[in-house]
Amino acid sequence: MVIVYVEERGELTQQTLAFARGLGEPLHAFVAGEPVPISGVEVLHVAEGDAFFAHAPAAIAQGLVELVDRLSPSAVVAAGTARGNEVLAHVAAKLDLPFAANCTNAEAGEPFLVTRVRWGGSLLEEAKMHAPVKVVTVQPHSVAAEEEAGGDPTIERFTPALSDGDLVVRVSERVAAAAGGVSLAEAKVVVSCGRGAGSPEGFGIIEELAGLLGGAVGCSRAVTMAGWRPHTDQVGQTGTKIAPDIYIACGISGATQHMAGCKGAKAILAVNTDPEAPILASADYAVIGDLHEVVPAISAELRKARA
Amino acid sequence: MTAASAVALVVAVAIAGALFTRRALFLTRLVRSGKPATRATDLPARIRNEATIVLGQRKLLQRLVPGLVHAFIFWGFLVLFPTIFMAIVGIVDREPSLPSGSPLGWLEAQGWYALMVDVFVVLVLVGVAAAVFIRKVQRPRRFDGSHLGEADLILALIAGIVTSLLLWHASLITLGLNPWPADWSPVSDAVSGLFGTGTATEVLERIFVWAHVLIILGFLAYLPHSKHLHIATAAINVFFGRTRAGGRLEPLEFEGEDESSLRFGAGTVADLTWKQMLDAMSCTECGRCQDVCPAYATGKELSPKLLIMGIRDHLFAEGPAALAGDDLSALVPNAVTDDVVWDCVTCGACVHECPVSIEHVDHIVDLRRHLVMVESRLPAETETMLRDVERGSNPWGKPQTERASWADGLGVRVLEPGDPAPEILYWVGCAASYDERARASAISTAKLLLAAGLDVAILGPRESCTGDPARRAGNEYVFQAFARANVATLDEAGVTKIVASCPHCFNTLANEYPDFGGRYEVMHHSELLAELVRDGRLSPVAGDQTITYHDSCYLARHNDVLAAPRELVSSIGRPLEMARSGKRTFCCGAGGAHMWMEERGSQINEERAREAAATGADTLAVACPFCTIMLDDGVRQTGGDLRVSDVSTLLLESLERA
Repeated sequence: MVIVYVEERGELTQQTLAFARGLGEPLHAFVAGEPVPISGVEVLHVAEGDAFFAHAPAAIAQGLVELVDRLSPSAVVAAGTARGNEVLAHVAAKLDLPFAANCTNAEAGEPFLVTRVRWGGSLLEEAKMHAPVKVVTVQPHSVAAEEEAGGDPTIERFTPALSDGDLVVRVSERVAAAAGGVSLAEAKVVVSCGRGAGSPEGFGIIEELAGLLGGAVGCSRAVTMAGWRPHTDQVGQTGTKIAPDIYIACGISGATQHMAGCKGAKAILAVNTDPEAPILASADYAVIGDLHEVVPAISAELRKARA
Repeated sequence: MTAASAVALVVAVAIAGALFTRRALFLTRLVRSGKPATRATDLPARIRNEATIVLGQRKLLQRLVPGLVHAFIFWGFLVLFPTIFMAIVGIVDREPSLPSGSPLGWLEAQGWYALMVDVFVVLVLVGVAAAVFIRKVQRPRRFDGSHLGEADLILALIAGIVTSLLLWHASLITLGLNPWPADWSPVSDAVSGLFGTGTATEVLERIFVWAHVLIILGFLAYLPHSKHLHIATAAINVFFGRTRAGGRLEPLEFEGEDESSLRFGAGTVADLTWKQMLDAMSCTECGRCQDVCPAYATGKELSPKLLIMGIRDHLFAEGPAALAGDDLSALVPNAVTDDVVWDCVTCGACVHECPVSIEHVDHIVDLRRHLVMVESRLPAETETMLRDVERGSNPWGKPQTERASWADGLGVRVLEPGDPAPEILYWVGCAASYDERARASAISTAKLLLAAGLDVAILGPRESCTGDPARRAGNEYVFQAFARANVATLDEAGVTKIVASCPHCFNTLANEYPDFGGRYEVMHHSELLAELVRDGRLSPVAGDQTITYHDSCYLARHNDVLAAPRELVSSIGRPLEMARSGKRTFCCGAGGAHMWMEERGSQINEERAREAAATGADTLAVACPFCTIMLDDGVRQTGGDLRVSDVSTLLLESLERA
């Protein structure tokens, strides 16, 4: 038996179920608070109690620990999200078991083989796991999601016995982030500019292009230091880390601190007068030229194409 | 009369003594309740500090005029100290009653001592007058935030003490009661001419001696309740001051038999070490630290002086509760705010300047340790850096596999497990490994070392962050994990000698890893390169470019590496010094994990770039990758045209000129 900890219905859950299905049968799921409408598992265990209406990692872990004690599964699996990793880390600690986080693959058997992500994503490690119950999380988007299919599961409700210690860490309040335009961190397109903009007004052409592409405006640290843009616009190690489909970096040399903030970009288009600029080493596309000419030209082409 | 005087004296001494003792006992109990700090070793160095910093007033004399003002008053205090007891005896019996066989009676009769008393009475008065001039006319900004009224009162009391002493001595001469030959004390002798020989002078003599003793007793009672407590604490604080390299931080213990003795930095006053408490009690608000602080100079909230004063006020307010074991309020934000704690670049300028050996950086780091490890309260961008260090082994989160890519094609040996140990291991550091601008120094250094024919190797992907930024950001736990892992790697590779091009790595490897069992001979690349030039293994050709050298805090101030980079600069071009240089250098703004923090308000690196530009030099030479990045940004931001370059790159260019 394999138990999957489910946070919510969605793509990550389907990926996790696909991963877990390869590790053994039958598949049971566990949720905290209220049942989640999922399919493809035999039993959905629901931990009930006031503690489960807000995220409380140690309490949720206690629910899983009770299930493990009762059902003796061969593995406990969750999505490798911040919450999934946190809850299963507690499960492993409570049961004194090893824990493999952010796995891209696992092969059941003795020894149990996992491939997991190390060094902040730059390395895949193959490891053997020796444990009566394998506690693993699945690296998000490393496994294809399975279709939602099969009948509704049997729902079994239970109330885990919690200690005070299980409730030390829990969500006590939610504060919405100040909204405004497209969020930089989530934007699919980011158009950034450095000191080459020349002035705060120089960002006009950048805003125009971002607007046409439905993207967000970013900037370099030098720009926020000069006071031209707010710190919330800064892309970089000490600013916002972005992961757009395309990052258009205009007049940005590519200092390490900046590149640390945009390494999640799927593609980088650099516009720079300097063919030696370090950013060109990381860029997928580059235009060597003055951004004050190149950027309006791109905008004009976009308008023409859409007209 | 004598009996009445004796009774009055006993009462006065008892009151002053009781007030003094009550407070002194409280302060002593506080210090004894402090958490442990290891300051028992290095006795010769402690005696040397006592001789130079206390007796020689070395730190104070770094600023000549205010230093002399203090030295006059302090030396005066030492010379005039015996006169306190002479005056007390004089109250009980006006006749010279000290048996001439007693040391005090002998001293009182000596002409040379009378001369010294006269000289120092004048010097103290000159000192007080100059201090009043500085405080009332010059009004330097270092006094901003200090208790100015308290200082005025203390200066008035000092002036009162020496004036009453002078008048008492003069009146004794007039009455012929002086046990010393009058012509040895020209000032007292001259003043004695003001008095007649009648009973009026006899009365005045009583008034003077009583005034003298009462002011001193008043001072004694007031002293431990005032900032002037430093008279009692400073010499002790200097004695227990740091004797090892300034850059070393005291490690925290994470495991121990008695869990209650473990501390995770300073959350409340009860978490302060006894040395930190003594620091707080030694501050006399002179503001020399504030004057040199780069954060303060650029308008940040931090002033090292106000930091210590804030901790002191909180310590005194909560001391009784701490001794009683009651609940205490948090040091942050009650004694100092979060911003103050995070503004510090750990450059150590304050510590270097402090005449009473207060260790501001240790306070800051302990406050950060508590905020980070206990409360998880830290700037968001610092959290990113800590996560990247922990997960990626470098503060930018770059792939370890790319760590040695700067060395592609240079022919540098990358040490694989099991390889024979090299003569010298080059510890590159994260900045020079990954940052495009800083990489130039790694490439130059490697080329130079190979050109000189040294057997040098790098660890490549097995090198990782030393843990310095995590430690300075308060995450001692992460630092210690990296320290242990790196020591294990180095030991396993059989490394004995290391050259580091990053002063932060250098400081950590040389001064902090010994605490984790890692003992290596560690050199900075500027030292090794200077040695190679000296030995003729590298022969640079000097050009006519003018070069100003920026001292890195962790190299110059924390580790005394001043001469080697200057030797290199002199062999490459024409050196020009900045106003603030050597051990009194001004930070680039990146220390103390600030490389990965956002700076609010005006920028430290811009201030330093302007100072460098003011020398008129063509080139700004540096010997630190962080300084390279920060000052290059600073030059760009201020629109300057200085070229910022590491000494190794400049040296390589001068060799290529040949």
